Amino acid sequence: MSERTATARGVQGCPVCTKVVPLGTHQCPRCGAHAHPPHRGKSVWSPSIQRTWAWLITSVLLYLPANFLPIMYTSRLGAPRGSTILGGVVTLWHHGSYPIATIIFVASVLVPVGKILILVWLCLSCQRRSVDSIQRKTEFYRITELVGRWSMVDVFVVGVLVALIQFGALMSIVPGPAALAFAGMVVTTMLAAASFDPRLLWTHKES
Amino acid sequence: MNLTPASDVACHECDLLVSVPALEPRQHAHCPRCNHLLTAKRPDAQPKLLSYSVTALIFLGLANAFPFLTLNARGLEQEVTLLGSVAVLFTEDHRMLAAIVFASIAIIPAMLLGFVAYTSLSIQLRRELPGVRTCLRWAIALAPWNMAEIFLIGILISFIKIVDLADVTLGLSFWAYTLFTLGVVLITLNFDRREMWSQLDRVRAGAVGASNV
Repeated sequence: MSERTATARGVQGCPVCTKVVPLGTHQCPRCGAHAHPPHRGKSVWSPSIQRTWAWLITSVLLYLPANFLPIMYTSRLGAPRGSTILGGVVTLWHHGSYPIATIIFVASVLVPVGKILILVWLCLSCQRRSVDSIQRKTEFYRITELVGRWSMVDVFVVGVLVALIQFGALMSIVPGPAALAFAGMVVTTMLAAASFDPRLLWTHKES
Repeated sequence: MNLTPASDVACHECDLLVSVPALEPRQHAHCPRCNHLLTAKRPDAQPKLLSYSVTALIFLGLANAFPFLTLNARGLEQEVTLLGSVAVLFTEDHRMLAAIVFASIAIIPAMLLGFVAYTSLSIQLRRELPGVRTCLRWAIALAPWNMAEIFLIGILISFIKIVDLADVTLGLSFWAYTLFTLGVVLITLNFDRREMWSQLDRVRAGAVGASNV
């Protein structure tokens, strides 16, 4: 098996243009991108793992205010009332909008939490040099990369509602502090997924 | 150290070195070890990429020219434009939020389309236009941050949320934005980075060959 990897054959693939270049080439001759082989040092703290952890910790720190602070304030003839993401889901559910409540719950709660947990699991299993169910882990990584952007839907809903409901004192909606925290959480989890090098999952299969 | 032929691809997800045969249109090459999609040959990808990206850019321009949505609530009428809705966020001291939203629904997809159009134009003309390699690199870097289609879903969810409060009428700009989104999705479906770069290499080799004659 080991003879078949690019690293074992003394080459590496450019992450941007896919050109195969010799090991030790730092800048791809075709597109100029930074190319590097999967980390193989003694330390389990490869640069990719360190960056992934850093973004993950940031996203968890942002996820707390995103859930506990109001995502928007609605004022109808008077005092503004704040509503949180989960509060909004519960309200929609009580109004009988089950599909929308489900979409918001999946996009705003299940997907971000799932993404963070999957990346934590992948980082830990790379650091333990685990060789179990690598194929399954790679598929989980692929899903994480694919669905990450879709969590932003809740931020867009707030944006559209704020833009539409501007009737002054009669009724208006303004964004709450959770909106920015949530957008930041989506961006940082996307950066965490992009920082993770899935090739690290496979390196210990060969040795 | 081995010399590797141009047909070799190092799998981006598991580092397996795979020799990819020349693909027929509609054929995909997956990594035999981890099943990652290595490359795909889409039929007539270059003319499609060029025409979709130019058309989508025109629709994005049109999406700014007409009312996006009109809201009717108990006799009060409110008309919003695409830029106007971002301006509301911006003026209400939510500049960072406005910037993130505007970048991901308009600026990034527009840049992506522009870079794809320029690269495809260069390939179609068989001439290496200035800066085309930088453009292609930017297109690849920006692609994950485009959220046009997610914004469209967000708009639809907002309608359902306010259906009890008000009547919403879709403006011409809404339909223009929908077609723009369709263009962006078609581009991502027809874009293959390995194919794009090898086409650019062929353009450069062709130019060198021609100048030697």
